[in-house]
Amino acid sequence: MPAPVVETRSLAKTYGPAVVLREVQLRLLAGAGAFIIGGNGAGKSTLLRILAGLEAPSDGQALVFGQDTRRLAARYRRRIGLMAHQSFLYPNLTARENLEFYAELYSLADPRACAHQWLGRVGLAEVADTRVRAFSRGMEQRLSVARAMLAEPALLLLDEPFASLDHDGAEIVAALIRGAVERGACVLATTHGIPEIDGVELAVFEISRGRLMQHAHKEEVRRGGRIRSLLGR
Amino acid sequence: MRKDLRLELRSGESTLALLALSMLVLVVLVFALGAARMRSVDAAAGALWVAMVFAGMLGANRALLAERDNGAIRGLLLSPLDPSTLYAAKLCAALIFMAVAEVGAVILMVLFFNLDFDASMARLAPILVLGAIGFSALATLLSAITGRTRGGDMLLPILAVPIFVPALIAGVKASAAALAGAPFESMGDWLKIMIAFDVLFVTAGYLLFEHVVGGE
Repeated sequence: MPAPVVETRSLAKTYGPAVVLREVQLRLLAGAGAFIIGGNGAGKSTLLRILAGLEAPSDGQALVFGQDTRRLAARYRRRIGLMAHQSFLYPNLTARENLEFYAELYSLADPRACAHQWLGRVGLAEVADTRVRAFSRGMEQRLSVARAMLAEPALLLLDEPFASLDHDGAEIVAALIRGAVERGACVLATTHGIPEIDGVELAVFEISRGRLMQHAHKEEVRRGGRIRSLLGR
Repeated sequence: MRKDLRLELRSGESTLALLALSMLVLVVLVFALGAARMRSVDAAAGALWVAMVFAGMLGANRALLAERDNGAIRGLLLSPLDPSTLYAAKLCAALIFMAVAEVGAVILMVLFFNLDFDASMARLAPILVLGAIGFSALATLLSAITGRTRGGDMLLPILAVPIFVPALIAGVKASAAALAGAPFESMGDWLKIMIAFDVLFVTAGYLLFEHVVGGE
């Protein structure tokens, strides 16, 4: 059995008296695509931040590539791509400069070519030399996706990747997610609605009252079907 | 660091603010001290260091400000970049900002206090460099803490200035001696204090930065 890319063991997170996540058990392998749905404040973004190592769990354990997320070495951080609510972009740099900066941070060969390629992939080639502060929310979202995927990470954590996107932008992001899964990356994304991504079997989880549950199939979500609980497994 | 310099060259906000602040401090002190002390090297040295400390706080704060936009600091922490390397880059950026402010402050000091551009300026240079290193190291580390708190802009000077007092006194005394034409040997003790301060806080910043700049 191959080692999981993502694994949580009775993961819990509290902020003071507020319990955001409780007893979260999750196990994702390489090449798995999964979406997490849930209401506002359900804990979806918190889970992604914990898996990225930006926050520590209050209890339990979060592992990526078999490593505790509280002590992720640089060689494991290199394999994670996170797209969060904040874009991590510099408003006074151009789109190209932002991607080149991150390409250099990740020691990618030929940062300029890499930035150029990704700007084309997300449909921003024509505004490559425009400062990010002039971008619309949707354009910034596309650039943020490109930044997260730039280094072709083995684990992609995407927080509402389809938010603020028009139809073309949503198709681009869906294609990028499909491509990532097909090349063997593990993709975990949060969303308010289940996207249509042809050719990729997606697992669907739901966070409700801090607990993570898996839907048997995404169609069950749409039909309001029965939810199987993963608690204790 | 290249990214920080590019951002600053594009906006010029920090540089202009630093120079304006230096000028403000020197002008106020010149009028406060009065004509009788206008040629006093002690007054000039004191005024210069007051301007530098204020400018240094502004520079250190702004060196990390760009990373607060859009949560870019989290992007850096998530990357393979060693947090200590991030500290070194921010320290260098703060140092450059402070060096620019120092050059402007020295020119204004010479003009306002009727001093001369002579050999004493060359003796002053290494003292200012040591002071800039120490203050930038301290302020960069503290700004990583205060930047995450509400009212952090006010908290930075409250924390930084008292800690910097030993190096500040040493810097003022050494600067006054340099402007008076004294040889380096006579200011040895003051320079040792400044060097020790620099070593302490550069090391502390390098070791502690990753623990204070975290995402939570």
